[in-house]
Amino acid sequence: MGFDRPARGGFGGAGGRGGGFSPRGGTDFKPRGGGGFRGGDRGGGRGGFRGGDRGGGRGGFRGGDRGGRGGPRGRGAPRGRGGARGGMRGGKTVVVEPHRHAGIFVSRGKEDALCTINSTPGDSVYGEKRISVEGAEGTKVEYRIWNPFRSKLAAAIMAGIEHIWIQPKSKVLYLGAASGTTVSHVSDIVGPEGLVYAVEFSHRSGRDLINAAKKRTNIVPIIEDARHPQKYRMIVDMVDVIFADVAQPDQARIVALNAHHYLKNGGHVVISIKANCIDSTAKPEAVFAEEVKKLQSEKIKPLEQITLEPYERDHAVVSGHYRAPLGGKKA
Amino acid sequence: MLVLYETSTGYAVFKLLDEKKLVQIENLYDEFQTFDKASSIVQLQKFYKFSTTEDAMSAATAAVEGKIGKKLKKVLKKIVAEDANEQLAVADSLLGKVIKDKFNLTCVHNTAISELMRCIRTQTNNLITEVSERENTAMSLGLAHGLSRYKLKFSGDKIDTMIIQAVSLLDDLDKELNNYIMRCREWYGWHFPELGSVVQDHAAYVKTVKKLGMRTASITMDLSDVLPADLEQRVKDAAQISMGTEISDEDIRHITGLCDQIIEMQDYRSQLFEYLRNRMAAIAPNLTVLLGELVGARLISHAGSLMSLAKHPASTIQILGAEKALFRALKKKHDTPKYGLIYHAQLISQSSQKIKGKMSRMVAAKASLSIRVDALGETDDADLGTLQRGYLENKAKELESIESGKMGGIGGGPKKFDKYQNKSQVFQYHGGNDNTMTPKVKKEPTDFFNQSPAPGKLNKLFGEEELKVENGDNGHAETTEEPPSSGKKSKKRKLVAEVEEEVAAPLEDTVSAVAENVDASGGKKKKKKKVKTEAEEEEA
Repeated sequence: MGFDRPARGGFGGAGGRGGGFSPRGGTDFKPRGGGGFRGGDRGGGRGGFRGGDRGGGRGGFRGGDRGGRGGPRGRGAPRGRGGARGGMRGGKTVVVEPHRHAGIFVSRGKEDALCTINSTPGDSVYGEKRISVEGAEGTKVEYRIWNPFRSKLAAAIMAGIEHIWIQPKSKVLYLGAASGTTVSHVSDIVGPEGLVYAVEFSHRSGRDLINAAKKRTNIVPIIEDARHPQKYRMIVDMVDVIFADVAQPDQARIVALNAHHYLKNGGHVVISIKANCIDSTAKPEAVFAEEVKKLQSEKIKPLEQITLEPYERDHAVVSGHYRAPLGGKKA
Repeated sequence: MLVLYETSTGYAVFKLLDEKKLVQIENLYDEFQTFDKASSIVQLQKFYKFSTTEDAMSAATAAVEGKIGKKLKKVLKKIVAEDANEQLAVADSLLGKVIKDKFNLTCVHNTAISELMRCIRTQTNNLITEVSERENTAMSLGLAHGLSRYKLKFSGDKIDTMIIQAVSLLDDLDKELNNYIMRCREWYGWHFPELGSVVQDHAAYVKTVKKLGMRTASITMDLSDVLPADLEQRVKDAAQISMGTEISDEDIRHITGLCDQIIEMQDYRSQLFEYLRNRMAAIAPNLTVLLGELVGARLISHAGSLMSLAKHPASTIQILGAEKALFRALKKKHDTPKYGLIYHAQLISQSSQKIKGKMSRMVAAKASLSIRVDALGETDDADLGTLQRGYLENKAKELESIESGKMGGIGGGPKKFDKYQNKSQVFQYHGGNDNTMTPKVKKEPTDFFNQSPAPGKLNKLFGEEELKVENGDNGHAETTEEPPSSGKKSKKRKLVAEVEEEVAAPLEDTVSAVAENVDASGGKKKKKKKVKTEAEEEEA
């Protein structure tokens, strides 16, 4: 993968466990169900230079990548041309092919990379690379590279998920939007006729989210706690898919609540689960199984589960079918 | 029943035509699949459109807070005027309560209602014909942006943010200062290595270097404003015989530039600390008195805001900042850490090593109380904090003296606290202890010495000899019970053993034999019981 990666080091990239105790914004913290420490690692309301800031703040203090995973895996190990632009923009040497999933493309160059059509050409959202490809009649299409190390959805696609359920014209409720990095790609996928409701609680990353949403009219930013879906009832319509990346111990409940309010029958949920955030003492597999069980009890029929190795450690993406119609036919 | 349905374009009031539909909510969604079906269940009674975006904004903010906005008030007044006795279904139970209090309308909110809302949402565009889908989407997009901006603009924990940033900057400054000073010592050390060991204090060192420049200048220079007299003399002596290398004027210029930077930073650091002290005294006076500004500010910064810190239990505050150790300990089932950030509080860091853990626990407990008073209390004085600090200081003294043995009691050595260990013990109930007969045996032996039984009688008594064993050892009644298969054999063996014992210790035997007599009635009962249990066992 030859993505240009943010220079490491600087401020806050090292953080052992990203958010550690403090969750996103001002919620009180609860550990495995009781009271304790939430491992939530996405940029929190604290602002400042924490590692956990999900692609936040483009300029100087780019705090490494998302959850401050720290040492062992050495994700930040020098990976070839860091920072150098232009590795990808190969003009005619790069061929972009459609991916199995609608709305997603693969650029075939020296290295393959996922990308989506840039809905706002000439503009990158979080400093990602763009490739411009000339079409048949001299038309230019611009693609944005989608880094699976920074986006769990991209990681799931790279890991070979069967369906992401997010496709052109979909309406998506995106819980845990953070700074809007993945959201911007989802907005590319759904296109101008789709809609992405991006819910994020942290004010710090919400700021970046709103900025990203300014240029993309199919993103509806919502700065609210996803635990109380009735608070955004005036804004959100019925949706086809819920994608959740909230990294909270009660995330199954959060997803179920939102599904109950806004997900149409036969709609789908795609949830990214970070085992550490739910129970840091149990085995990841056990945690995943437990979460899937919780989903089942909320009328969400699990369809598939994949782990995000090697992009993320102890993460899984689970997709499910909400209130699936009887008879097993897929909506 | 009426249904109040809020959209980004206005308030819709539906009339529920068939209330029986709410009983079977599983099928409700299917009933709403087509517009025809849906319109047979609910009917739009009135749609109150927002006239301006400001209208919509204020309505949406009210909805988020669970209050009644201006527009909604009008709508509700109309409802009250027209159908006051109808029930009103609302999407938020909080809102329902407020409406009930204000307008005396009976509001309903339950799972059936939220299912109904969900169903209406699927058909919104068809049911509410006054606004197009396009308009609706545009409106909700605008509303979302407006709401989010409003949220960011008026976020509640603004003052906390200042403290958090200030304390982070303070930490950064300290780190940088240390770096700079080390660099300065290193650099100037090439020219005048002796100065480093003579002047230990960082600030004085930097000032001396700035003033001195080349070390040869020291002979004539008066350093009394930066150094005490004795040090000044030593510096001058050392300069004469220094083994440092010569450097150029340009080098010195850069080194003094660095010194200027350091001095400036030190000044700024003290200003910043003053600012932090004032801020902390304003927003968390009790916490500040108890733990100090820095530790207090670090705790707030770690929790994210004062309010979220107030929501933490004392046990969490105790180890805030030691997450890594905590999770490691939890994972490996080791002892969890005793302290985190709180360790640097004076109350803890200045107590002796042995009682640090205890102090940490007590300080955290009191700190959590004072944080709550700071965050939620009405007063803004530091009475509670002062009180608690006094209490903790006394407690520390007390513990300290116990540790050192001053209050250890008469003659005894120092009292020791046991290290706390979670010993899980399962206490078992021994039924045999209930037997009240045994003590008699021990009580009366002397009386029986006189009437030793005839030797012939012994044999007869042997039959009951094992009972003695049982009685004496009734705590372990179960263990003496023979396995059913070898019941008789082992009984015999036991008898032999008893005889041998008798020969060896006739006295003891007589005692027990007499005991047999005394216990005859009880013993027989026991025997019978025993036989019975044996039989049962054999059956099994």
